[in-house]
Amino acid sequence: MAAYIIRRVVWTVPVVLLVIFMTFTLMKQIEGNPFRKTERAVPAAVQANLERKFNLDRPWYVQYANYVRGVATGDLGPSLVLRDRTVNDIVEEQFPRSIELGLLAFGWAVLLGVPAGVLAALKPNSRFDYGSMLFSNVGFALPNFLVATLLIYFVSVKWGVLPTSGWTTWQHKILPSFTLGLVPMAYFARLVRGTMLETLQQDYVRTARAKGLRRRRVVGVHVLRNSLIPVVTAAAPLLGYIITGSFIVENIFAVPGIGRYYVTAVSARDYSVVMGLTVLLSIIVIVANLVVDILYGILDPRTREART
Amino acid sequence: MSVTEIAGRLAGVDAGAPIRQSSLWQDAWRRYLRNRGAVAAGVVFLLILAWCVVAPIVSPHDPNRIAFSDAYQGPSWSHPFGTDQFGRDLFTRAALGGRISIGIGFGATLAILGVGVVYGAISGFVGGKLDNALMRFLDALYGLPYLPFAILALAIIGTVNFWTMVVALSIASWFITARVVRGQIITLKENDYVRAARAVGVRWYAVLGRHLLPNTLGVLVITIFLELPGVILGEAFLSFLGLGINPPDASWGSMAQDGRDAYRAHPHIIVIPSLAIATLVLCANFIADGLRDALDPRTKET
Amino acid sequence: MPLLEVADLRTHFFTRAGVVQAVDGVDLTVEKGKTLGIVGESGCGKSVTALSIMRLLPTPPARIVSGSIRFDGRELTTLSERELEDVRGREIAMVFQDPMTALNPTLTIGTQIVEVLQRHLGLDHGAARRRAAELLDEVGIPRARERLDDYPHRFSGGMRQRVVIAIAIACEPRLLIADEPTTALDVTVQAQVLDLLDDLRREREMAIVLITHNMGVVAESADDVAVMYAGQIVEHAPAHELFASPEHPYTEALLAALPDLDDPAARERRLAAIPGRPPDLIDPPPACRFAARCPYAGCGDGCALEPPVLRELRPQHRVRTTHPASERTTVPA
Repeated sequence: MAAYIIRRVVWTVPVVLLVIFMTFTLMKQIEGNPFRKTERAVPAAVQANLERKFNLDRPWYVQYANYVRGVATGDLGPSLVLRDRTVNDIVEEQFPRSIELGLLAFGWAVLLGVPAGVLAALKPNSRFDYGSMLFSNVGFALPNFLVATLLIYFVSVKWGVLPTSGWTTWQHKILPSFTLGLVPMAYFARLVRGTMLETLQQDYVRTARAKGLRRRRVVGVHVLRNSLIPVVTAAAPLLGYIITGSFIVENIFAVPGIGRYYVTAVSARDYSVVMGLTVLLSIIVIVANLVVDILYGILDPRTREART
Repeated sequence: MSVTEIAGRLAGVDAGAPIRQSSLWQDAWRRYLRNRGAVAAGVVFLLILAWCVVAPIVSPHDPNRIAFSDAYQGPSWSHPFGTDQFGRDLFTRAALGGRISIGIGFGATLAILGVGVVYGAISGFVGGKLDNALMRFLDALYGLPYLPFAILALAIIGTVNFWTMVVALSIASWFITARVVRGQIITLKENDYVRAARAVGVRWYAVLGRHLLPNTLGVLVITIFLELPGVILGEAFLSFLGLGINPPDASWGSMAQDGRDAYRAHPHIIVIPSLAIATLVLCANFIADGLRDALDPRTKET
Repeated sequence: MPLLEVADLRTHFFTRAGVVQAVDGVDLTVEKGKTLGIVGESGCGKSVTALSIMRLLPTPPARIVSGSIRFDGRELTTLSERELEDVRGREIAMVFQDPMTALNPTLTIGTQIVEVLQRHLGLDHGAARRRAAELLDEVGIPRARERLDDYPHRFSGGMRQRVVIAIAIACEPRLLIADEPTTALDVTVQAQVLDLLDDLRREREMAIVLITHNMGVVAESADDVAVMYAGQIVEHAPAHELFASPEHPYTEALLAALPDLDDPAARERRLAAIPGRPPDLIDPPPACRFAARCPYAGCGDGCALEPPVLRELRPQHRVRTTHPASERTTVPA
């Protein structure tokens, strides 16, 4: 297992380098140096100065090496548009909100989605089963800007229960996190139902029942434990969902987070920020994959040895 | 008899194959028809396609005519979906938007399939170290959010149109398909008929082209309907953020964006294109489920 | 009083294709401390019978529609799930066919033995672990104490079956139901597992229901034998008597199908197969279920019109046919 973990960790290094390289190359292709914007006529000397300051006059591989060195030491470089601000400043200011939003969304999903799946599987073909699966299917299909708009329309505007936008009090956080959590919730409900039904048919569950164990122990220890392994594996792709969704949700609910800022930065051609955020998000996903893989090995002893 | 033919006979895939294959698909079709939910989803899906194709042709309304006197009308007989802030008929515009949304959806799905099949087939067929490296790469990228990369891609290309949207939406979405294809190829490679073919010296491209790829077809058909919802939603997200389809062209996403400012007074402008997206995505999901059950009868035991 | 008495048990599966009468008239008697072998070809309802006694069948689709299962004078068919949980593992335990899937892959075998000890005997964790090690030792697993913390995948098939047996005997049940316990094992291991079961039975005065399709296994370890065909018991007798003088044509055919390695002439002959196939249990023949394959069916005693009942031909020898061997006057057509 230790060998597997080490190999897995070592493998992420070239992948991270590759992702940075791809992002870097892509960014280099973008026309429109922020200092060449026509609307902001900058004297040639000043421009050359600026380019020197931001290393834009050096060969690409030097820039790349500098950038990688920066990422490795946790320095994502200066913003090209906002003076006196670094990408790190922006991340430090906005990222905690996005993390909070994402965690709350994940919380909704685990809190409502997993129990829905468990109960549906314990009573298959019941009304609850049909209801939660319908909810899951619809939750998957509704674009989250519609969910957000409808929630604001009814909960905030018509009933006046919760604020429409912003990110200050806990009341502000309910609607955005719920909207963002809907897809993971639907996903968990369906996934858990499926794995539970499959696990319930396993021979070892019958063995557990044949031992005369109480139903609570059979379900709790023998069924749930094995059914929830896929849930852990699913956490990584769900992180991708949540990041993507946060772009929309932060936009609609005016949450000052990374997702909203990303769109602003693209429009402002602040490409050091765009690049920094892309690299940051990618590294988060890559690390999440790593963690999930290792967790999976711990939860399922069979893979633990197969992987060494 | 050539070596290839002998191998084919051995593998039971020459003379006998066409019949077996067609009956395989016929069986799947019969199983699909027995699944009421999937059939209903298929019918609705086709109805939406028909509406997108036919409605703009037969509609009495010019979808781009601006008449402020007609703005913000609710649904009525002459405007079944009402009108938008410029007084344009939403029934016609939504159908036009559907053409673009669905077109981009299928375009990007096919692109995803293309890249995924090439990557997955190479990885699975060559095997060994290359397979290992390619898969480690995919493992690490698994779950990478496609939206930032789509936005980046559009920013790099600089212009937004049908084809650049297709590229943007497929650029970071093919990882799963590649993995699925690779898995299929690996499984198929272990089959005795493939081993037999290789044992008698059938060339690698014949093994790949005749025995392996055709047998991944079922999985690919399912994949189309698995990937389509994500891509259609992706297009909608981009357009909703103002980074996608621009006026005067409209997609369901950009129409939803149009309705965003007036959602309090006139919610139908955002709700109608959104529901169109939701319905299409729901249908695609049901079709994918139905196809999976139909093409893989083992899963339908319960 | 026998330990287990099953009378006219009928367990049906209600499926979309129709009602499968998987068990439709099973009568069994298991004496204390004795082994009853249930034989029959696959699909004849042996396993369904076992699972019906344990009440472990998924409901729906399966349901016990009639009959009684009396264990030590207690009727099991009317017990609630909670009451059954006290019987399972404590009074009646079960060993399953496939040891590869019968153990939970994500729990150590120690945990899986300890939990049953704690459940029924109320041992504390330490005592339960010590007892678990003794049990592993008893079923012949070397270095028992160290192996408690291993996961099932570290054990071979035969060793896993020993673990399953250790779990089953943990609470000293009075009846052990073994459903094809050796079928999934290597031939060399099969005999060891059967010997183990027999030793345990003798030491603990535990009765065993041994389900198998293998006549040889029955001959070796059963005191009594019940032969099943198409969901029904067709013959039930002490083992020596069944092998010496089988009465039902199906039993005769089964025994004739056994290779006799001692007889040089028989070694040259082909094995006698039973022609035909078992009936469809959704729509079984109205009278004798064996009629279509029975060499005596055409002899005019009406066996194809009226279903034969299980009758006591001699003390302890019951048979379900109108023409048992000892009453036949005609030869097969």
